[in-house]
Amino acid sequence: MLMPLGDRALLVRYGTVLDAATNRAATELAARLLDAPPTGVLEIAPNLISVLVRYDPSETTYARLAAEIGLLANAQIPAPSTARHHSVPIFYGGTGGPDFEPVADQLGMTPEAFVSAHQADRLTVLAVGFAPGFVYCGLHAPALIIPRRSTVRAQVPAGSVLFAAGQTAIAATPIPTGWSVIGRTHMLNFDPDENPPTFMRAGDTVSLVSA
Amino acid sequence: MSSIAITRASPLTTIQDIGRFGMLAHGIGPSGPMDRTSFREAEAVTGRHCGAAIEFGPLGLDIVYSGAPRMIGLAGGSFAARLNGRTLEWPTDAEVSDGDVLSIKPGSSGNFGYLRLDAEIDVPPVLGSRSTNAVVGLGGLSGRALTAGDELRLKDLPAGTIPSDATGSSHENGPIRFIWGIHADQFPLDLRMTFCETRFVISPSIDRMGFRLTDPEGIFTDATILGLVSDAVVAGDIQILGDGTPIVLMADHQPTGGYPRIATIIDADRDAFSQIRPGRPVRFTPVSVDHAHGIARALS
Repeated sequence: MLMPLGDRALLVRYGTVLDAATNRAATELAARLLDAPPTGVLEIAPNLISVLVRYDPSETTYARLAAEIGLLANAQIPAPSTARHHSVPIFYGGTGGPDFEPVADQLGMTPEAFVSAHQADRLTVLAVGFAPGFVYCGLHAPALIIPRRSTVRAQVPAGSVLFAAGQTAIAATPIPTGWSVIGRTHMLNFDPDENPPTFMRAGDTVSLVSA
Repeated sequence: MSSIAITRASPLTTIQDIGRFGMLAHGIGPSGPMDRTSFREAEAVTGRHCGAAIEFGPLGLDIVYSGAPRMIGLAGGSFAARLNGRTLEWPTDAEVSDGDVLSIKPGSSGNFGYLRLDAEIDVPPVLGSRSTNAVVGLGGLSGRALTAGDELRLKDLPAGTIPSDATGSSHENGPIRFIWGIHADQFPLDLRMTFCETRFVISPSIDRMGFRLTDPEGIFTDATILGLVSDAVVAGDIQILGDGTPIVLMADHQPTGGYPRIATIIDADRDAFSQIRPGRPVRFTPVSVDHAHGIARALS
């Protein structure tokens, strides 16, 4: 579904619920658009269930752009893939992961069983967003789904490994969060002195391992 | 070598150039001037090519200039500026010389003003921009807002184009125009109609991330929409927090967010909106995308 997001951007949203197919559709459309951007497009950014397309209205119109994106979205051509694999080492629990044991309890698992379940599936980088280099990885098995916490921590440090809603997210900068903080990694997906400043992209695959 | 010594700075005073674009896919928003029209005007009045701006907040800015004579341009809202005690017009250009004292105090209107010089502020560009994003600590002077005691070194600019004028929103007192937001369909029809008829007030809680609005009748109090998947955010989005507080997201917005967005202010009205002071009323009225593009064409 295409919809305006203000008068300088258009959003292609594939659904209202996050699942693997919806996310993959968004990631693939973003790759197709990046490969052959329509006239007037300034920026393309994939999100969890959508693609943001910023455009210059002096170069194109909403209707024209929507039509061109519609053609690309329906094309039966494989999306170009530049996906890479990342292995993310995690220190579970301790001061860097204050919610690790409560989350295992909540899931009715021993800490060891939770670590094992947490690492069981190869995950996908679902999106980069919210903060510099912040990655959403998923989706975990349905048995691992817990809601966000009812309270927000004002700040957790860079490298915090967050867990909620069937996903593991990794903070690359200090951020506020309502997700459970289950561990810490030294792998930070953000370096402002590099361009591009991130190395994990939507569509990449991720293995979580114990540090 | 020339420099600017800051002797007093309003909260929300930062270094800004046109912005850090193309970084949304890396989780980095654009930043840049809150009022892009006035940012350009502060350059246009000098008739010179200018570098990044000092964007100062509602309480203004005091500086001491050191170095060879240079041109400065001042614009944005209506502030009260004095150069060595002599009252300046607003907006204006002026020449500053070694030891000159420029004092900018609040005037009759506006939240953000711009000081530009025919020189570059010598801070390193980060990801292609000198704009400060103080929320995530990027760009500007060490990624933070400017305060008294800061000294900014200036360097000569390479040749560049001089803007001939600075057109932007002609908006004065009418309603701020918007396009229905990506979650508008999740709000009941009668609430959407009420939204267009309500007189909101700019709350005291304004910053470069967003302006909180006071909703005197509490129209969104019972309109909580939960469980949205985090989605793209753009400047001008009007999002409704869980307690019903509306916030207009501004230049330092996060690139994605999970609160419902009922509307997005059109590009042409965002600069004028950024200058509406706390305590002042604001109304919103919907337009189509085509109409918004027509407004933009008429201004260019």
